[in-house]
Amino acid sequence: MNDQLNNKSLIQCSNVNVFYADQQALFDINLDIRENEVTSLIGPSGCGKSTFLRCINRMNDVIDICKVEGSISIDNQNIYDPEVDVVELRSRIGMVFQKPNPFPKSVYDNVAYGPKLHGRILHQEDLDRKVQESLERAGLWSEVKDRLHEPGTSLSGGQQQRLCIARAIAIDPSVILMDEPCSALDPIATAKIEELIDELKSKYTITIVTHSMQQAARVSQRTAFFHLGKLIEVGDTEKIFRSPEHEQTEAYVTGRYG
Amino acid sequence: MTEEHIVTSFDDELRELTDGLIHLGGLAQIALANVEKSLKMNDHDLAKKTIEADKQINALQFELEEMTFNILAKRQPMANDLRSVFSSVKIILFLERIGDMCKGVCKRIAKGDLLNAKSPKTIDALVGLTKDVQNNLDLVLDDYAQGKADNALNVWRSDIKIDSSYASILTAILEDIRNKPEAIEALVPLFFIARYLERIGDQATNIAEVNHFIVTGEVLTDDRKLEAEEKTVF
Ligand SMILES: Nc1ncnc2c1ncn2[C@@H]1O[C@H](COP(=O)(O)OP(=O)(O)OP(=O)(O)O)[C@@H](O)[C@H]1O
Ligand SMILES: [Mg+2]
Repeated sequence: MNDQLNNKSLIQCSNVNVFYADQQALFDINLDIRENEVTSLIGPSGCGKSTFLRCINRMNDVIDICKVEGSISIDNQNIYDPEVDVVELRSRIGMVFQKPNPFPKSVYDNVAYGPKLHGRILHQEDLDRKVQESLERAGLWSEVKDRLHEPGTSLSGGQQQRLCIARAIAIDPSVILMDEPCSALDPIATAKIEELIDELKSKYTITIVTHSMQQAARVSQRTAFFHLGKLIEVGDTEKIFRSPEHEQTEAYVTGRYG
Repeated sequence: MTEEHIVTSFDDELRELTDGLIHLGGLAQIALANVEKSLKMNDHDLAKKTIEADKQINALQFELEEMTFNILAKRQPMANDLRSVFSSVKIILFLERIGDMCKGVCKRIAKGDLLNAKSPKTIDALVGLTKDVQNNLDLVLDDYAQGKADNALNVWRSDIKIDSSYASILTAILEDIRNKPEAIEALVPLFFIARYLERIGDQATNIAEVNHFIVTGEVLTDDRKLEAEEKTVF
C-alpha cells in the first residue's frame, strides 16, 4: 500500500504568500510535492486551494490584482524567476477544472490543440497518433473513436471531463493539476476519473483539489489540509484520515468544522 | 474531541452506538459476575439463568452490528470517528464471545457434578481466576466508556498473571486426575472452565488493545507492549 511513498520531491514551494489586492489569501505555504504521486489538497471553501493550485502553473499571473511572493521550484527551477518562459512552463503543466470545459471544437481538435500550439508536432500522422494515444490514456478512445469530428461539447459530462484530461496530457506535461475534477460528475464517471488518476500517476505528478475526504483517501498518497489560507497539516493520506496530527484537521475530515 | 458534528444526527448515532456498547459490556460483566457466584456457591439455578441471559447478549450484538453497518454506509466516518466505529465492530464481537464463554462455564456448572471432583482448592483457584478476569474486564470497559486507554498496559500485564494462574490450575487438575482417576468425570469440566476463563481474559486484553487504537490510532503490537513493559520495570 505504501509503495508510492517517499518518492523524491518534484515541486518545492517555499514561503508562498498570495494577495488579491490587499487581501492575503495564502500565508507562508511550505509544501513539497512528490514525483509520481497524487497529492490531495483539502480544506473548507475559500481556504485557498484553487489559489495555491494556480500558483503552480502561474495562472494567477492573469489575475491583475493577484500578487505571488516566495518561490516555487519545479525540477529545481524557480518558476517565478523573471527568465522563465510562462508559455513553455504551462506546456509542462496540464490543468483540469471543476467544470468540464472543452473548446468549442471537435473532439479531435480539442486534443490536437495543445501539441499544435506548442509547435511540437509537425506531421499529420504524428498528430493523429498523439490524439489517439492521449484519448486512450484518458480512457476515452473506445467511446469516441467514431465521433472524433463531432463537437467536444456533444459528449456527456464525464466524457467531456476525460476529454479535458486527454487535452491536458496531449502536451506531455510532467505535472497535472486538477481542481475538483469530479464535482460535476455522477459516481460512475467519478470512478472512471479516479481509476484514470491512479493509472496516470506512474507517468505524471498529480495534484488534485477535492472536497471529498473519501476521494482523497482513494486516489492520493499525500494529503495537505488548508485552513484560512494556511497549510495546517500535510502527511501520508492514510495518516490524515486515520489519525491526523492537528485538531483542526480532525475537525474538518470528520465533519465537525463549524 | 468534544465538538459536535455539523450533522447532529451523526452525533446521535455515534452516541447511541457507544451507549449500546456500554450496555453490552454491562451484560457481559453481569454474566461474568454470575459465573463467579455460581462457581463459588455451586449455584445451579444462577448458572441456568446465566445461560438463558446469553440470548440477550446475542440480540444486542445483532442490533449493534446493524447500527455500525448503517453508520459506515451513511456517514463514511473518518479519523477518530472511523477509529471508533471500526473498533466498535471488534468490541461487539469480543463481548459477545465473553458472553458465549460465560455460558460455556455455566453449562459445566449446571450439569451439577463439580463437587464430585472433591477439589475445593481448584474451585477456589477458579473463583480467584474469575475475579482477576473480572477486574480486567471492568478496567477495559471503564476505559472504553471514558474514551481512554489508561489501563491498557496494566490489563496486558495482569493477563500474564492470569495465564500463569491458568497454567498452575491445569497442573493441579492433571495431578488430581492422576491421584483420583475415579473423579475424572468431574475433573474434566474444571479443566474446561479454566480454559474458558483464560480465554475471557484474552478478550479483555483484546478490548484493551482496541481502546489503545481508538485513542492513538496505533496498533499495540507485541513489540510495543514489550517496549512499554521494559520502560515501566524500573
Ligand atoms: N480572482 C480573485 N479575486 C479576488 N479574490 C479572490 C480571487 N480568487 C480567490 N479569491 C479569494 O481568495 C480566497 C481563496 O479562494 P480560493 O478560490 O483559492 O479558495 P478555495 O479553497 O479554492 O475554495 P473553494 O473550495 O470554494 O473552491 C478566498 O477568500 C477568495 O475570495
Ligand atoms: Mg476552489
